[in-house]
Amino acid sequence: MLCIETRNLTKKYASTVAVDGVDLQIESGQVFGFLGPNGAGKSTIIKLLTTLISPSNGKISVLGMDSAKHPLEIRKKIGVVLQQPSYEPTLSAEKSLEKYGMMWNIDKKIRKKRTEELISAFGLEEIRKKKMDDLSIGQRRRVQVAREFMHDMELLFLDEPTVGLDPAARRKLLDFLREQVKNSGLTIFYTTHVLSEAEYLCDNIAIINNGKIIAVDSPSELKNRFGHEKTIKIHISKVSEELKSKLSEIRECQIKLEPEPTVIINSTKSEIVLMNILKILNETETKINDLSAIPTNLEEIFLKIVGDSN
Amino acid sequence: MIQINPIIRLVNRNLTISINPGFIIWQILFPLIYIFIAGFAYTALIDSVPFGGKNLDYPAFLASGMIGFNIMNSTLISGIIIWNDRRHGMFEQIMSGPFTRTHYILSNIVTIAIIGLFSAALITAVGYPVFFNSVEFSIVTILLIIFGSVVGAILFGSIASIISTKLRSSEGFNVIINTVFLFCAFASTAFYPVQGAPQPLATIFYLNPLSYLVDIIRAGIFGQVTDFVITEMLLLIALAAILFVIATKLLTKLDF
Repeated sequence: MLCIETRNLTKKYASTVAVDGVDLQIESGQVFGFLGPNGAGKSTIIKLLTTLISPSNGKISVLGMDSAKHPLEIRKKIGVVLQQPSYEPTLSAEKSLEKYGMMWNIDKKIRKKRTEELISAFGLEEIRKKKMDDLSIGQRRRVQVAREFMHDMELLFLDEPTVGLDPAARRKLLDFLREQVKNSGLTIFYTTHVLSEAEYLCDNIAIINNGKIIAVDSPSELKNRFGHEKTIKIHISKVSEELKSKLSEIRECQIKLEPEPTVIINSTKSEIVLMNILKILNETETKINDLSAIPTNLEEIFLKIVGDSN
Repeated sequence: MIQINPIIRLVNRNLTISINPGFIIWQILFPLIYIFIAGFAYTALIDSVPFGGKNLDYPAFLASGMIGFNIMNSTLISGIIIWNDRRHGMFEQIMSGPFTRTHYILSNIVTIAIIGLFSAALITAVGYPVFFNSVEFSIVTILLIIFGSVVGAILFGSIASIISTKLRSSEGFNVIINTVFLFCAFASTAFYPVQGAPQPLATIFYLNPLSYLVDIIRAGIFGQVTDFVITEMLLLIALAAILFVIATKLLTKLDF
């Protein structure tokens, strides 16, 4: 079943086109990653999908409902953690969770139970009585994300939820989200700049740049499609004129002198290129200090896709 | 599960985040200082104050004025809630939840009406020993105090809301809101009678809605409801309605 569907979704601000004819189809019960550089249009799309703002053009359907006709009905069934912090400065972390549950009309007994469960799941025991105003950015973020699980929902929007979290808290959150999707069939729409997170968590990924979707697929398929080119780095002792001259005949490699002399190979046939370069290094009596192959990860692919689209 | 109205849920939230010991102490202490210190201290200068057909002691006159003043003061909360919600991201968060802007606006009005009524009841109780001799309590008194609390809350709450939607910085918000409310407090009939005041000042007094609010409450307490007071009630309703519409429009237009 489709959880989110957009057709020709467009949002304009004066002369700026923030979202430019986006077509999305997202199936239920998965984590859908939404990646893009700063200002690409990620947060604007979240605001459109959560009915906070209206599109300039196009159609949005969330959980089978038209967002223009049923915004309140949609909002009753979704959870949203926006990019910017949101908190009640005068309330304690525990009271924040409890009051948020009350705002969502959750029964008092259930609220109490969920508050305890979330305090434990998000490691908030030490700060439960502290006022939100006195917490660090990361601690506030943890409460903000935990708070959203006080109510039931079918779809959760998380806009860079791990900002300010330490690595342990980040991993704990990602595992918690995975568990929620597995156990309750929740769908998560997830934006992040940390691509290793997206690789770890997401079933499918869309990459957006300049308001347009430029790629949609699973992380492994994206790697297959865009990750043929491999990178090999050879750190060498010196760069002679003879070496420069011989390497200049091989198109797939380049020499960098800083911070140390390095030959970098970028090629879909990197193994063959490597053999040729090793031969040249041998002929020019150039000593190899180190040699490393960089595995194709989502970050490399993201940079390539966004770079190509620019 | 019992479905509680979204406005009631937001009112519950508003009261939880707004009412703290500091606020309650301020709401009680401030009027007490005025009624019992300024009221009796000024008695040496102001013998009695004519109101309707009566001559009131200055402390009685001041205590009844403090009810209106406290209603106005308590509506500051409306501006503070909106301003804090915008500053701390809660406005956007609430609007992405099971609420509409109408729910949000009405919950603010209900919140300040409750606080206004509570304040009015509190100062009436505290001031009662002071205006005990001249008081003419009846059902009209209670109705007029409720009228003043609700209409005054809407009116001054709307002013505070308008200011909070226009200002982002905390310094700007505090300076403007305190200046407006301080001007309203002192250029009104809450502290002194209009009779005997220089003509320009008397005119300013009656360009200030707090004067109407205070006159209506005084009329209720001292049994002096005249045609002029009824005109003031109508004017207060009209002004509150206009300001409420403006505040609602501004809040509806707030962008994310």
